[in-house]
Amino acid sequence: MSSAVTVRPAPRRGWRADSFTGVRVIVWLVTAGVVLTPLAAMVALAVQGDQFALLGSEDVVVAARNSVVTSLASAIGAVAVGTYLAIVLDHTDLRGRAALRLFALSPMFIPPFVGAIAWLGVFGPTMGVNRVWSDGFGAPLWNIYGADGIIFLLTVHSYPLAYLIIGAALRRIPSDLEQAARIAGASGVGALRDVTIPLLRPALVASFTLTFVSNLADFGIPAIIGLPERYYTLATLIYRSIQSGTVAAPLSVVSTIGVALLAMAVVAALLDARVNRQHTELDSTAVVRHRLDLAGARLPLSALTWLAALAITVLPIVALATQAVLPAPGVPLAWEHLTLDNFGRALGLRSTQVGVRNSLMLAGLAAAICAVLGLLVGLVTTRTRARGNALLNGLAILPQAIPGTVIAVGWLIVAPTLGLFNTPWLILVAYVMAFLALVVQAVSAPLRGIPVTLEEAARASGATQTRALFDIALRLAIPAAVTGGAMVFLTAVRELTISALLRSPGTQTLGVAIFDLQQAGNYNASSALSLLVTIVGLLGIALLAGRERN
Amino acid sequence: MAGVTLAEVGLTYPDGHTALTGVDLEVADGEFVALVGPSGSGKTTLLRTVAGFLAPSRGTVAIGGEPVASPGAGVPPEGRRLGMVFQQHAIWPHMSVGANVAYPLRRARRPRAEIGERVTEVLALVGLDGYADRNPATLSGGQRQRVALARALAPTPRVLLLDEALSALDEPLRDQLRVELRSLTRQLGLTVIHVTHDRDEALALADRIAVLDAGAIVQVDTPERLLHEPATPFVAGFLSDATLLPGELTDSGFVADEHPLRLARDVVVGPGRGSGTLAVLPGDVVLHEGAPGGEEGRAEVVSSLYGRTASDVIVDWHGLRLRAESDGRPVVGARVRPEVRRALFYPDVAGTAG
Repeated sequence: MSSAVTVRPAPRRGWRADSFTGVRVIVWLVTAGVVLTPLAAMVALAVQGDQFALLGSEDVVVAARNSVVTSLASAIGAVAVGTYLAIVLDHTDLRGRAALRLFALSPMFIPPFVGAIAWLGVFGPTMGVNRVWSDGFGAPLWNIYGADGIIFLLTVHSYPLAYLIIGAALRRIPSDLEQAARIAGASGVGALRDVTIPLLRPALVASFTLTFVSNLADFGIPAIIGLPERYYTLATLIYRSIQSGTVAAPLSVVSTIGVALLAMAVVAALLDARVNRQHTELDSTAVVRHRLDLAGARLPLSALTWLAALAITVLPIVALATQAVLPAPGVPLAWEHLTLDNFGRALGLRSTQVGVRNSLMLAGLAAAICAVLGLLVGLVTTRTRARGNALLNGLAILPQAIPGTVIAVGWLIVAPTLGLFNTPWLILVAYVMAFLALVVQAVSAPLRGIPVTLEEAARASGATQTRALFDIALRLAIPAAVTGGAMVFLTAVRELTISALLRSPGTQTLGVAIFDLQQAGNYNASSALSLLVTIVGLLGIALLAGRERN
Repeated sequence: MAGVTLAEVGLTYPDGHTALTGVDLEVADGEFVALVGPSGSGKTTLLRTVAGFLAPSRGTVAIGGEPVASPGAGVPPEGRRLGMVFQQHAIWPHMSVGANVAYPLRRARRPRAEIGERVTEVLALVGLDGYADRNPATLSGGQRQRVALARALAPTPRVLLLDEALSALDEPLRDQLRVELRSLTRQLGLTVIHVTHDRDEALALADRIAVLDAGAIVQVDTPERLLHEPATPFVAGFLSDATLLPGELTDSGFVADEHPLRLARDVVVGPGRGSGTLAVLPGDVVLHEGAPGGEEGRAEVVSSLYGRTASDVIVDWHGLRLRAESDGRPVVGARVRPEVRRALFYPDVAGTAG
């Protein structure tokens, strides 16, 4: 056993058998407060404001339709790409699978709004590919602005998550189930169709719901790709209502739109729960992993998949890098034009410096708070028996199913009451609510895996229940909590959706600073900053992956 | 039904590990053959080569006289018309019992009415009448294995492959299914290849047993001959827990190397003379309690396990761990005098002496 298991010979003073009740009450109050306060306030204001007629107004109807169309299409696309990748990467003899997996996952390491800025450099009307194409054929190849561009970008940034979920489910399906189908007369593809894909259904639905909800909330992509063509989604419409000042009662309006978004998320969650109820138990263990022999299709499929994955990884980074070293958009890429001024200019701006400082501080604090609170929630829900544990766990992971836009709107509404208006702490509490689930999920599995006898041994050695919980289970789960906290940090430091809606003078984050530069037309400076964010993010993830491996 | 012929089948994995070397095996039409051997001996590899999940690097596999695998060419598993039962039953959890059993029939494009009839028929055959609409999750482990058997039998396969098919079941149930499997396969005249690590199961079920070691078949024979006339010391040791010791056979008898054991020539079965290995089957050893004798005749009981027919006893005899069957249950530490009534002698093959 690990040396982290320390058994104390006798209970220390100050810990009483019933003192864990105190811990439980505090955990409950903080979690419920962070999660329920903004949601309740938003719903209450929407009901009170009675602006439901607004849901029929043309702006809202069009934006809602756009939101549903882009989120639905991109979620379907993400699940399709994710399923394809899971099957060819984890289930066939495709060439170079290990390296291909890294390339295919690369969009996950780039924040969506940075991806949007990068792809704008590839498929913007007068940029990258289109520029070359126009020179040759007289018209651009594909203009990324508008609905199709939003769907493309949302798909690119959500398929890696779908792939991870579906791939994990695929690896849990025992290979003898497919072999039994082969012996029964099914071809390799037939076994996939009749056995493997039906068994993947819960994972397909789960990844669909998750990507649908997160795409519904995304602000950066529709703002950067949609606004130039006046293509609004609910997320960008909320932003406009808050920022423009043209709406009479902006909070009341956005709370109504927020409730509409929440309703969509609830429908998605219900669908997920319904499918999961019919889920089938897989009780046998996999024997020898058998890879599907692609035979004649192996070379063409390998070439096609490699080409697509390389394009998706390399094109945006090349576009960012090109924009970052050119003085202005449209300047041809030639040696004498190259400059590093963009980096200096972007980093020298006061708004950038404030943004970097705010992002580091907010992400660091959010990571620390989420790590501690998440660890305690995990401890209470997995290591003690009490009614309401399932509810507490549900509360803590609920925000994962809620669009980030809704979380931001909720906190915007309660901000004046709590005295958080115009302070960075407003963004902090929203981050804690949004990302708490990351830590709870990271610690729950290891906590559940600790044999109860380890705690009983501590009790037999004289520790109180609380003492045993803290000395044994909590200590063993600290590495998982640190990993979860690091994930929170990496997510929060590159975040835009929440901080854009909750911005106030002096509280802009790095994401908002880049977004502002881009909106102000300073494409080259925003590209330079985006490139830095991408590189730093990749380094951070490499560090985290290295830590996980040890 | 059909026979299976393996000719000089060799299999080397891409990492260079050799799993099978020159395996020749002829399974007759309607014969029940068991494959046994220690872990890593290649018995599962051999079965999966017949099934078509592995392709041999050398040699050929033929089913019913039709070649199904040779280097560079092979019929995929779905084209071999086989039935297979896996250790963990491999029942598809998203299909009902009936749908599981019907699946191979649907793949064979049988008419719908015939499928329904056949499903009812094979479910009755395995003792699961009326279970067609059940969800597999509601069945016990033994019932699931019966469903797996019904699914394998449904399309009337040419050969039934059993991959540790009974090993995941608990003892009394395993015994019962063993009896049913034997009578069912004999009644249907099925050709069966059965991989098992359970020696008693192989002896109980099979017409013939193939003993594998290090990727090669050491002996293929009936259970009786394997027990009484093992072809090599390895077979005697693996199947019967024989005690092996090196020594020299002359016209006057056997003299063990570095051990006081001496045997008269008429007690030793085996051809030739010279140095070789003696195999003493536990049933050929008698332990005399408290009997007088010289110092070299003394042995001490180190382990004594009670059994239905005889106790399984190990004695320490001047450093040799001798295994014996005994009627009573000798006490550990007791002094006994072992008597070897019969032993098998295997002369060293040139080049493998020592």
